This record gives sequence, structure tokens and C-alpha cells, in this order.
Amino acid sequence: MTDLIQLRGVNKYYGDYHALRDIDLTIRAGEFFSLLGPSGCGKTTLLRVIAGFEGVSGGTVMISDKNMKDVPPNKRPTNMVFQSYAIFPHLSVAQNVAFGLRTRKDIDKANHKALVEEALNMVGLSGFGGRAAHALSGGQRQRVALARALILKPKVLLLDEPLSALDKKMREHMQVELIRLQRHVGITFILVTHDQEEALVMSDRIAVMFAGEIGQMDDPETLYRRPKSRRVAEFIGKMNFLPGQVQTVGDTLDLTIAGFGAAQITPDQMPEGARTGDVSVGIRPETLAILFDGETARRHECPGTVDEVVYYGDMTYYDVRVKDVPQPLTIAMKNLIGRPVLDVGETCRIAWDDRALVLF
Amino acid sequence: MSLRIYAIAYLIFLYAPILLLPVFAFNDATIIAFPLSGMTTEWFAALQTNKSLHAALGNSLIIAGCTAVFSTLLGMCAARAAAMSHFPGKGGITGFVMLPLVLPEIIVAVSLLVILRQVLGLDLGNWTIIMAHVLICTPFSIAILNGAFGNLDPAMEEAALDLGETRWSAFRLVTLPLVMPGIISSMLIAFTISLDEFIIAFFLTGSNPTLPVYIWGLLRFPAQLPVVMALGTILVGLSIILLTIAEVFRRRGLARSGGKDTGGFL
Repeated sequence: MTDLIQLRGVNKYYGDYHALRDIDLTIRAGEFFSLLGPSGCGKTTLLRVIAGFEGVSGGTVMISDKNMKDVPPNKRPTNMVFQSYAIFPHLSVAQNVAFGLRTRKDIDKANHKALVEEALNMVGLSGFGGRAAHALSGGQRQRVALARALILKPKVLLLDEPLSALDKKMREHMQVELIRLQRHVGITFILVTHDQEEALVMSDRIAVMFAGEIGQMDDPETLYRRPKSRRVAEFIGKMNFLPGQVQTVGDTLDLTIAGFGAAQITPDQMPEGARTGDVSVGIRPETLAILFDGETARRHECPGTVDEVVYYGDMTYYDVRVKDVPQPLTIAMKNLIGRPVLDVGETCRIAWDDRALVLF
Repeated sequence: MSLRIYAIAYLIFLYAPILLLPVFAFNDATIIAFPLSGMTTEWFAALQTNKSLHAALGNSLIIAGCTAVFSTLLGMCAARAAAMSHFPGKGGITGFVMLPLVLPEIIVAVSLLVILRQVLGLDLGNWTIIMAHVLICTPFSIAILNGAFGNLDPAMEEAALDLGETRWSAFRLVTLPLVMPGIISSMLIAFTISLDEFIIAFFLTGSNPTLPVYIWGLLRFPAQLPVVMALGTILVGLSIILLTIAEVFRRRGLARSGGKDTGGFL
């Protein structure tokens, strides 16, 4: 894949407020890329910088090796799906979708009708062209916004929290449809979202942003399994943190974890610049397990007491107290056939595995 | 119950004098007093042949039309700036722009007369009244257009920009149609205010009076009173129609942009 968008040292100030700090970012052609972060982290600002709605205070934005300095939004090879969808309420669905064709002298006017029909068909709205735009539902508005942008065949489609206004069922449905659509058209999608699950489900790569900086940029699996910092780990999924102490760093890394005891970490799990001393040990709830009658741990086990039980139907989340661990550990268990749900106060055995540990 | 009585009394207090206008406009007597002495359309007929009345009406229509256009244009600039951009001192400036709304008209009239005649040495005429009326109508225009522009999603214009339009064509193709009901509403209100404004017009009028100033002049001749009543009846009718149309457009605009109704002038 070739590099399509390159941001080098991008900074953005609003008065004294430093909204974007030294952003370096490369997005490849055909990629589904997500900007993920809590509200106010600068992800929408970054998207608007790429679209051209915001200038930069420093650094360069390149799209297809062209410097975008002084290039207004209407001259950029990008199109945007706005958070509010910004469907023009005084126009029909077809007029909305055809809106961008007006200024495209390279597209023959005779083809407009067919292109609109094709675009509507692509988003599953064929036959809706004659409807008034203000009479559409939320999901339909979003499809119109997609069709209106994609009909222009941009190099990049920018999506600003496109699913946040939809209800849960609709959102999950549109996630799958957006992935399918992106594969079908082959256009680079850049998605802004605060929903970590959405980002994990949809993206080829994710940049996690905090306070105007990119905390980590990786594919979803690496991001989830090997978060580089504690705040990335805390933002994406749930994670337990235990105090630990590293004894030796060599071919392997030996450490002791409060309440768990000795553990050993292989080179591929070692964080950069690992050294002896105090560390924070992260472990995901689903990599821990409660052992029921007759089950034995593959690696290690330790005793605990159930502190809290949250039943989700398919899963049960336990908070379990372990001696010498300051906070109860969250453990996610699948509710398999014949497996009981424990009560608060019951003692149990916990299985853990050093392959699942992440050091910070 | 007492609230209902109060409301009815209040409405009578407000509108009874106006209701007397058509009553005496159709009354067949030159003296304005009860009992009524029969039905006539004589006074309306007298309106049709009065040359100086027609001249005054023509003046007023020109002044009201120009005032409506200019105050709405100024109001659009102010409302758009207030709704779509951020600049230092925005709150203070918008407050200051609205100030003529609460200034006593007599003060505005006297100070304008002093400035125009003594300081600038200009001749009085329709243009001086238009300028003064724009001054007092612009706050009303801003108040109406603030609603229209404030309810507009800023992403609308950005979306048009994103789809290849320039700043101007985005404004023309998207913003303008969406705020058009507000623009029409603002023009109608400004037109109505200017049409029946008296104090400023009285001070600043040159040799050609506006309609209200002309009517005031008529009052010195008791025989002309029923004619004034007839004219007043027509003006009240016109004002009600114009204000109703303005309100209809304001509500339609709100419905179109999906905003909440925060109250208009009606």
C-alpha cells in the first residue's frame, strides 16, 4: 500500500490552547484508519485539519504528495460525513446526493442521474431519490450523507463520529455495512470515534489520542494486546493493574507480582527499555480465569475471595480479592453449560498466565 | 378565574380604541361621537381623490421599502457573524448593536436632526428618514435573523464547501434558502415599523411628509377626521396582514431548520 496522507509535525493552537501537539501520521491508500480518543483529545480537530476546515499553526499536511497548505476544502480530494450529517433539508434526497456534481466539470451532466442512482443503490437507498430530505430517519440520513460524499469518488472519506447518533442495534448494523462499503469502493476511510469497540471492530489501524497527542498507533490486535502505555491500556478495554518488581532482565525477564508470585516474560512481550525495579503489571479480565471443580491451571494459580458479581447473560464479571493485591481483580468468565455462578463471599482459585502480562 | 378576567380587561384596554377606528370610518357624520348616524363609504371615496395623501403614501412606501432592504441586509451581516464566528468582545458588540431597541425615539430623532443639519449640513428628505429608520429597525432585523442563523447547523455550509462549492456559492445555495423565511420575516417587520413611525419622520421630514406626518397634519382640520379614521382602518388592516405573514414565515423557517421556537414578536 502506498502512503496517501502524511502529517509531519502538525501543531494547532486556539489562542493559548494547544489542541494538536507534534502530530506525525502516515495513512496508506485503501486503509480504514481510526482516530480514537476521549472527547476533547483533538481527534475531530485533526480530521478537520485534513479536510481543510482548520489551518495548522505549524507542520505540513500532504495528500498524494501534494502540500495542502492554502488548499481550501473545496479543492481537496477529501469528502466528509459530518456528525450531524448536514443533509440539506430544503433539497430532495437525489438533489442532496447530486449536490457535489455541480462543480465537477469533468463529469458529463448526462450521467448525473445514473450516478445518483448508483450511489443511492450502494448505500441501500435505491428508490429514495424523490423523498424530501427532512423526512428521513437518522439511519437514512447517514446513508444519504455517505452517498453524497462517495459519489464524488474522493481519495479519502472522512467520517466524524458517524454512528454516535444511532441506537445500539442500528450502530452495530452500520459498523458492518461501513466495513463492507469501504472494501467495495476501496477508498481510504478515516473515522473519528470515542467508542473503542467501534474502532476495534472497523479499523485496519487505530491512532489513540490523548490531549492533542497520539498515544499509540497500531492495528487493533496489537493495540489491545500490547498497549504501550497505561492510559492506552485503560482507554481500550478493561485491564487490571498489579504492582510488581523486576528482578532480572536478560534473555527473559523475571519478576514477582504482588499476590501472584514469580513470573517470567519472554523477549517478544518485553517493553522497550525494560529494566529492573518497580513496574505496573497489566492483565486483561478475560486472560484470568476462575477454576471450578476438577479444573487445573495451565501455568499458575492463586486463591481469592469473590467481592462482586455482575451477570451479563453470556458473561459474568467477578471482582475477586487476592491477598496482597491492593484492588480487587476483575475476571471475565463465559457462562458455559454446567458452570455455576459464584456468590459474593465464596472463595475460589484463580488461574493466570505469564504470557498475558503487559508491563508498564 | 381572576387571571381570566384580568386578561380580558387587558385585551379590551389594548384593542378597544383600535376597534373604534372602523366604526367611525363607516359612520355617516363628520363629528366623532355616539350615537352613530348611519353607514357610508364616503370617507373611503374621499381618500381616493386626495393628491397630497397619495404623495405622502408614496413617500412612506419608498421609505419603508428601502428601510426593509437595508436593515435586513445589515441584520444578516450581524446575525451571521454572531452565529458562525468567534471574535473577541462578541457579546458586548451584539449587545451594543441591539441598543437602539431601547433608546427613546425622541432622543434618536433630536440627535439625528442635530447631526444631519448642524454638523453635516445635509438637506432633509426621504434619504435622511431612511437612514434613521434603518437605525431603529436594524435591531429588530437582527433579533429575527439571529433566530434564523442561530438555528442553522454550521456544518451545513461546511458540507457545501466540502462538496466543492466556494464560500459564496455555499452561502447562496445552502445558507440563503434556509434563512430565507427569516429574511422575509425581517423585511416585513422593518417595513411595518417604518411605515407607521411618526416621531423620527416628523423631525427629519423635508418638504414631503410621510403618511403618519400627513395624518397628524390632517388632525388640525376636524372636518377631515372621518377621512383619517378611514385611512387608519386601512393601515391597521395592512399591519395585521403583514405581521401575520411575517410570523408565518418565521415559524416556517424554524420548522425547516428544525430549531426550537424561542418566541418571536407575535
